[in-house]
Amino acid sequence: MTSDADRAGAGQAPARDPLGESADGPVGRAADIWRQFICRVCGLIYDERLGDADSGLAAGTRFADIPDDWACPICGVGKADFEPHEPVAASRPAAAPAVASATRQPGIVVVGAGRAGWQVAQALRSQGCTAPITLVAACSGDVYDKPMLSVAVARALPPAGLVREPAAQAAARLGVRLLAHTHAVAIDAAARRLRTTRGTLRWQHLVLAQGAAPVLPPPFLPGQAWQINDLASYQHLRAQLDGGPRHLAIVGAGLVGCELANDLALAGHAITLLDMQPLPLAAALPPQAGQRLLAAWAGLPIQFIGGVRVAGLQRAAPAAAGARPAPWRLQLAATDGRAQAHAPAFADMVIVATGLRTPGRLATSAGLAYDTAAGGIVVDAATGATSQPGIHALGDCAVAGGQASRYIEPIARQAAAIAAHILGHAAPTDTTAPMPVLRVKTSALPITLQRRRPGTGAWHTEADGADLLQLHQHDSAGELLATLVARRPGGTDGTGSRPAD
Amino acid sequence: MGAPEHLPLPMVEAVRAIAQGPLADAADSIDRGQYPREILQHLGAAGAFSAHLGPRADHAAAIRAMAAVSAVCGATGFMVWCQQVCGFYLEQSGNPALTGEMLALHASGARPGGTGMSNPMKAYAGIEPLLLKAQRVDGGWCVNGTLPWVSNLGPDHYAGVLAGVEPPAGADNAEGAAPTEVMFVLRCDAPGVELRNCPSFSAMEGTHTWALRCTGLFVPDADVIAHPAKPLIARIRAGFILLQCGFGLGVVQGAIDAMWRVEPALGHVNCFLDDRPDALQAELDALWARVDALAATPFDSSTGYFINVLDARAHASELALRAAQSGLLHAGARGYLLSSDVQRRVRESHFVAIVSPAIKHLRKEMARLSAAEMPA
Repeated sequence: MTSDADRAGAGQAPARDPLGESADGPVGRAADIWRQFICRVCGLIYDERLGDADSGLAAGTRFADIPDDWACPICGVGKADFEPHEPVAASRPAAAPAVASATRQPGIVVVGAGRAGWQVAQALRSQGCTAPITLVAACSGDVYDKPMLSVAVARALPPAGLVREPAAQAAARLGVRLLAHTHAVAIDAAARRLRTTRGTLRWQHLVLAQGAAPVLPPPFLPGQAWQINDLASYQHLRAQLDGGPRHLAIVGAGLVGCELANDLALAGHAITLLDMQPLPLAAALPPQAGQRLLAAWAGLPIQFIGGVRVAGLQRAAPAAAGARPAPWRLQLAATDGRAQAHAPAFADMVIVATGLRTPGRLATSAGLAYDTAAGGIVVDAATGATSQPGIHALGDCAVAGGQASRYIEPIARQAAAIAAHILGHAAPTDTTAPMPVLRVKTSALPITLQRRRPGTGAWHTEADGADLLQLHQHDSAGELLATLVARRPGGTDGTGSRPAD
Repeated sequence: MGAPEHLPLPMVEAVRAIAQGPLADAADSIDRGQYPREILQHLGAAGAFSAHLGPRADHAAAIRAMAAVSAVCGATGFMVWCQQVCGFYLEQSGNPALTGEMLALHASGARPGGTGMSNPMKAYAGIEPLLLKAQRVDGGWCVNGTLPWVSNLGPDHYAGVLAGVEPPAGADNAEGAAPTEVMFVLRCDAPGVELRNCPSFSAMEGTHTWALRCTGLFVPDADVIAHPAKPLIARIRAGFILLQCGFGLGVVQGAIDAMWRVEPALGHVNCFLDDRPDALQAELDALWARVDALAATPFDSSTGYFINVLDARAHASELALRAAQSGLLHAGARGYLLSSDVQRRVRESHFVAIVSPAIKHLRKEMARLSAAEMPA
């Protein structure tokens, strides 16, 4: 144990200096230099010192020794999508400001401390920015991976363990002033001020990374349904679910709804999954994929009811003093206009996952162009600049070319582009945004949709075996538009390396 | 006469003339404790208390009138708010016993009234408990408890206040019914009401501010503004806070005006100060634009609108503190005299910032409203 502790001590930042690898000095032998590799898609960091117990990699497993069929535990990409990762040392001002008024130097203010907010701070520092950076976070600011929120239920991971880096530590590492639990209230674009619930900040550059908020459709009222879009709401839900198996209704069978249904069912809860479309994932994927997913779920306690909307909800019985509230009774109506009444659905708790939308109030206060249809702040795709000088936006809250991007994959690229634009550097050379890869992390049947070019066309089945469904989409000229792969884990040609859970 | 149907901006100019004439002369003695009854009646006759009432209500005009008064005397400006918001309660009550002659006299300034709603507003925000308790009795309510610091009171005045409803003695609340509140007109001359002196304040000494003690006070149903009160509170809360902005914005304008007055003599040194009058005026004008836009829809019930109102009110407080402080620095030694208007304005700006809702309460409420509501 002592040697482990020593090694951990030596494994702190200085020992990770790449030069240390050739140095055979007191810092330590090369074998003690643990390296880190970052997933280019989702940003997960594989640390050789820690390994990854969840996918069977013991602490101390070298990246080179990881089997080739290993997949990123968060987003499922392979080893080839990882690259060496060097933590960025903060370039803090060397000395205290020379004059008192320098403390009022307006620097860069970032609204939001989700992945997008932290990535911008990281990109600014790694591109040499020494200006003060202030991060305004409505939450604690702790660094975590949002895709893990669903996975962690299935694996019964403790919610506290989801925090990858405490906020204070990340702030210190990047030399960032963090205002946690602070809400941005209004932007004065002309005076370059941001009003918050902890006072007013001056800025030279403002970066909006505020994310998007779940939409609560009628008839739901605030406080009736759960919406899982951040660590805090997730922790609240977990606290209620850890009391034992419950019956849950999930409204909306898109990506988030399906992943939650999959993982909550694996954790032992009974799921009723509702959607207006006749099949799950109908908005994003061809019907064959939805059918295949339903078949893969056959062994799980998931009941899918398609073609319905929730017309009303009430408790099945009045509240009795001291007793657990009665289940919700969800009144269902057919979406195809059929008049016949649907049987109601019952559930202890209701989760609504019907989409995200960026609240427009902050953008409106600054006079920013806002795309009402796509639900986000209009930005230039190459630079992340909004319609107001000095203000950029990225991540879930931004809309480029009429399209919101609510995926993790583009965020690092957006952050690098914004940092370059703010610092007056040349735009990063690799700004050619690849067509986003859509990954549905339903562990019973992970699905990947790789789009090669925009367009519409018919889907053709390329492979339809017991373990693999592969579809190709071609346009009328026969050009390949997209490839869809749905592979049953544990199958003969599967990449299902996830331990049986 | 009732609420005037049409009030053009000449109303604000008439109010400004009173403010810069008789009020300016009396401001120092008001600061030392004199209640400006006559000036308030003149302001009422000019329309300062009625612009936001009636079918042609213009909240922005009411706020402008209050600001014109507050630029000269913050204490009187605050009483303009008390009178305006009390009239707002009477009008929104929908109670014919309150909306008829009583509202007409009130809106004209013939009868003065106050507001004791800061405790309930804080109670609804979870900051403190309700201080008045009411029990249902035959034909009305029996009220007990003490409200601290209610302004614009006097033996023949009244105030809009609110009490938590207690179940009748002996009845247990077994069915779990939600608690209600009753909002009513408290008449200072009613048996069971005692006006108690408050300690000396830093400013606002001329506002006739008292502690209101109720002992077995009978409130007849004719004086009830609302029961249950929550729906009415939800309807008026934005207007209540928005009207108050006029008080803070007026104090800012008064400070800026004082800076320009000393500019010919002291500009050569004042140019080294922060928060110069031109910069403050630009910030003030931008805030006025926000307030004018918000005042067009005082009954907007959306959360986003209410956050914007809270933030405009917070900004008015922050700006009043900065402007008054800078005004004192611009005036230099002569501003340090106790009789100086810039000295008085510093103390008035402190009141803008701490009177309910104080800056910290506004921020706490904005944070609460900004967070997503989760199932219990």
